[in-house]
Amino acid sequence: MTVTHRPSRSEAIARAEARGQRIAAVLPYHYPRALLRAHGFHPVEVWGPPGVPRDEGGRHFQAYTCDIVVRATSFLLRGGLERAGVLLVPHTCDALQGMGSVAGDFLQPSQHVLTLYLPRAGRPTDREYLVAELRRLSDRLAGIAGGRPTDAGWADALAAEEAADETLAALYRDREALAVGDREFYEVVRSREYLAAEEFVEAAAAVPRGTAPSGIGLLLSGIVPEPMSLFDHLAEAGARVVADDLAAGARRLYPPSDAADPIERLADRLLGSPPDPTRGTPIAARAAALAGRMAAAGAKGMLIYDVAFCEPELFDVPLLRRHLGDAGYPVAHVEVELGGELGHRVITRIEAFVETLA
Amino acid sequence: MTAIAGIGIDAGSTTCKAVAVDPSGAVVATALEQALPRIADQTAAMLDGLRSAHDVAPGARCVATGYGRRLVECADRRVTEITCHARGVFDDLGRAGTLVDIGGQDSKVIRIGPDGRPADFVMNDKCAAGTGRFLEYTAGRLGLDVADLGGRVAAPGSEEQITSTCTVFAESEIISLLARGAEVDAILKGLHRSLTVRLVAMVRTVGWEPPLMMSGGVARNAGVRAMIGEALDTEVIVPEHPQLTGAHGAALLALEG
Repeated sequence: MTVTHRPSRSEAIARAEARGQRIAAVLPYHYPRALLRAHGFHPVEVWGPPGVPRDEGGRHFQAYTCDIVVRATSFLLRGGLERAGVLLVPHTCDALQGMGSVAGDFLQPSQHVLTLYLPRAGRPTDREYLVAELRRLSDRLAGIAGGRPTDAGWADALAAEEAADETLAALYRDREALAVGDREFYEVVRSREYLAAEEFVEAAAAVPRGTAPSGIGLLLSGIVPEPMSLFDHLAEAGARVVADDLAAGARRLYPPSDAADPIERLADRLLGSPPDPTRGTPIAARAAALAGRMAAAGAKGMLIYDVAFCEPELFDVPLLRRHLGDAGYPVAHVEVELGGELGHRVITRIEAFVETLA
Repeated sequence: MTAIAGIGIDAGSTTCKAVAVDPSGAVVATALEQALPRIADQTAAMLDGLRSAHDVAPGARCVATGYGRRLVECADRRVTEITCHARGVFDDLGRAGTLVDIGGQDSKVIRIGPDGRPADFVMNDKCAAGTGRFLEYTAGRLGLDVADLGGRVAAPGSEEQITSTCTVFAESEIISLLARGAEVDAILKGLHRSLTVRLVAMVRTVGWEPPLMMSGGVARNAGVRAMIGEALDTEVIVPEHPQLTGAHGAALLALEG
């Protein structure tokens, strides 16, 4: 069964423009959506994009810089982001920080290049820092938009984005009661990357209820499931993703906050997201959380599916593998580039891993 | 004549292999050919050859493995070479342990559990270093037959150091060493050392458990066997027909349905 029609990325952009919003192109992956919305911007995320050649972007980075950064830079240089008024580059990793510097200092595109420096821990001082950083971002956006949000504007933005976040969390909670395969499920999850909050809620509501397909349960970790045919290969091998630790997925299940101040509320939510290698979570704590998630979801092993040269991910892999192995969960690790379909060697590796779990 | 009950086809990058087994798992027939570009035609012809020369039991099944497994049209099931090699060597040698399978275009280290199934594995699939292709390519550069390498490397003698594990850069080093008058056998030893250093790192990554076994065409190379054994301070066990291990495992899996 397939999900009913969702607006495409370009349709979503056109709708946002028709509503009078400006487009903010946003690099992965933690950022305050409601803050952008409150300032009149519609966020559209840029995860590469996969089909864009590396050549133009590659001139500005070392050869071992990941595809997301290099292809996004190519996309920027080719005019792919021309409808965006703002380019927001969160400091997810050193490569993205580098992209923020290269774009802002050297490329100087027509878009306003904004950075967001995220803390690497969750101590009170990190919260204090993040609140200040979000206020700085808010000031920059207010300067670009020509005014600050009203209280009503803040309330509307927070309510809409929190409703969409809760819808995303509900999709994950109800996964076993959704009559869709992994590919359809993640197409809906990932539509949050470009749909307006209300459109996403509508798209999620259209997912048919029923029984999820069967298969050997896997937890899928990593950055982004590109190409999406990954899920077809997993299904063909007899596997099913029953939980994830994807930057483009469950790592962005932000908990609620009861802070009255909008910025503090956003900071609390960002800092409360699940354990994450880009936020300095101790590996043992992250492994324990992942083992718990696998046990709860019935996963028999974990597939780490990384974009090549993704340093924050790669640093954790050896110890993560050891901790989860000790907990009885086999781990396989593959690295891919975002240039096209999966090669047969990667497919073999994935299939062999599923065979070991059968 | 014993009827064939299961057939395994290993469509590898360098060679194409077929093994037919009877209901007890005993090998009835084997075939091994250089791989051709038209995998579907080649494997169909191999199957026809087996079927015309032997009785085939009703319901006999075929399992395909190897990088060309998807192109074996007559296969009832397709299984990766990791599982097939584990199953094959487990049947051949009758024990769990760690298997090093060096194929033409990739290499794998598989930790085999007590049930003959892979418990964990690592693959080198990003470049030709650590694969049979590395030896083929460099042997070609030295004007040697790849089948002669093992014996020459296992013989006593000096060894040159090859610092690069990259096949292309290793070729440059060979040219430099030849220009400096280095002995061919000493260069060969260095090339084999370069290959085995990479493989030994993979063995350690998988958390290996003895015994250490080898399959694939490179397992016939005495030099590689000796160097891996020396590095890990263990004996390396090789089945009688290491090139057929994957096809044999596939045939045994065919018996299981």
